[in-house]
Amino acid sequence: MALQLNLLHEEITAQRQRQRDPLKIGMMILGGLFAVLLLYYLWNAYRTLAIKSQLGVVERDWAKVEPSVTAAQKRAEELNNIIKTTRTLDEYIDNRFYWAPFLQIVSRCVAPNAQLTSLDGGVAEDGKSVSIVIDGVAAGREPRAAAEDLRQMLLEQLGRAYSDVKVEFRGLEDLDSIVSVGGANLAMARYSIGVTFNPTAPKAGASAPPTGREKKR
Amino acid sequence: MNAPKLNKDQIQKIVLSVMGFIFLLYVYSNFFLGPLQRSRASMVATMQEKQKKLDHSKEDLQRAAALEQQAKNATTRFASFKALIPEGAPIAWFPPRMKLFFANQQIDRAGARLEGSTGFKQPELANWNRYNWIIDLPQAEYATLGKAIAELENTEPLLSITHVTIHTQPDAQFQQVTLAATNYILKK
Repeated sequence: MALQLNLLHEEITAQRQRQRDPLKIGMMILGGLFAVLLLYYLWNAYRTLAIKSQLGVVERDWAKVEPSVTAAQKRAEELNNIIKTTRTLDEYIDNRFYWAPFLQIVSRCVAPNAQLTSLDGGVAEDGKSVSIVIDGVAAGREPRAAAEDLRQMLLEQLGRAYSDVKVEFRGLEDLDSIVSVGGANLAMARYSIGVTFNPTAPKAGASAPPTGREKKR
Repeated sequence: MNAPKLNKDQIQKIVLSVMGFIFLLYVYSNFFLGPLQRSRASMVATMQEKQKKLDHSKEDLQRAAALEQQAKNATTRFASFKALIPEGAPIAWFPPRMKLFFANQQIDRAGARLEGSTGFKQPELANWNRYNWIIDLPQAEYATLGKAIAELENTEPLLSITHVTIHTQPDAQFQQVTLAATNYILKK
């Protein structure tokens, strides 16, 4: 075997040293990594540009329809408000208490010998009850009976039109004065009748409130 | 395997390379890739939002058209309510209107005065006010009054009589009548 002498040992070692230089290797790795990262960045930038372009298309489309859509939404909101307002006003109108039918019922109940002197009534704020005070004078051989007849007539007639009707005397007193009706002198009584009821119509099939007339018979 | 022994200079260079690597990654992610991705994410979100609006726009247009059809009755009725309310302050037109109304009903002496006005809590009546009036009829005959009230209740749907006071007068032919009424009036 031939003997080999390495006369350039030091130079070769220095060369190997230079090749194995960590900074140089690090720089090479960094360079490679930089290239990879740059490519990745460019790829991301490309995707971003593509999305930007899509966004531009969508924004152009939206700009075309936006005025009509906004107008439609505004109109829909306005219509919804009108519907709600009209519904509320209709409820208010439907829930009003109509005084004219009530006054007609009262006029039908008053006999010639039972005069009304005042009528004072109001509807509760919730509209679910009506309270009326009727004052007047009754004349007859038994003026209290004449007033009672009026009370019963009111109870009967109002019971047909309204629910939860209560007609009660708040006061009933004989008067000293005498009145002449049809040539006959009749005694007089002053009455005050309190009426309360719910303005809703009585339920179908519900009987009218008891008047007490049957008992008298 | 025998690992090459590193001298001090080489270790310094390796540390320097690692620091450079970390710095590069930091700069890359914070100043290049991060903003780009954030911008892309925001654009995607904007696009999705716009796309959703676009998708809903057809629906909105169709819904508005359908609602327009459905609301025909309501709009007509609302217009009729509005037509009942003249321009100007209610105190200026309501009392003369009542006076004329009762005069047409054979009740010559009539006067109306404003008791007060309030707004509504309900949002749907935000543009409306409630006006409380006192209507005095110092000389009214009972039957005529009944007919007049019936006519008033039928022709003034936005008016509600809340209180009625009737007192007989000494001559007994006429009654003295006071009506408390509430009227819903659109703010104009």
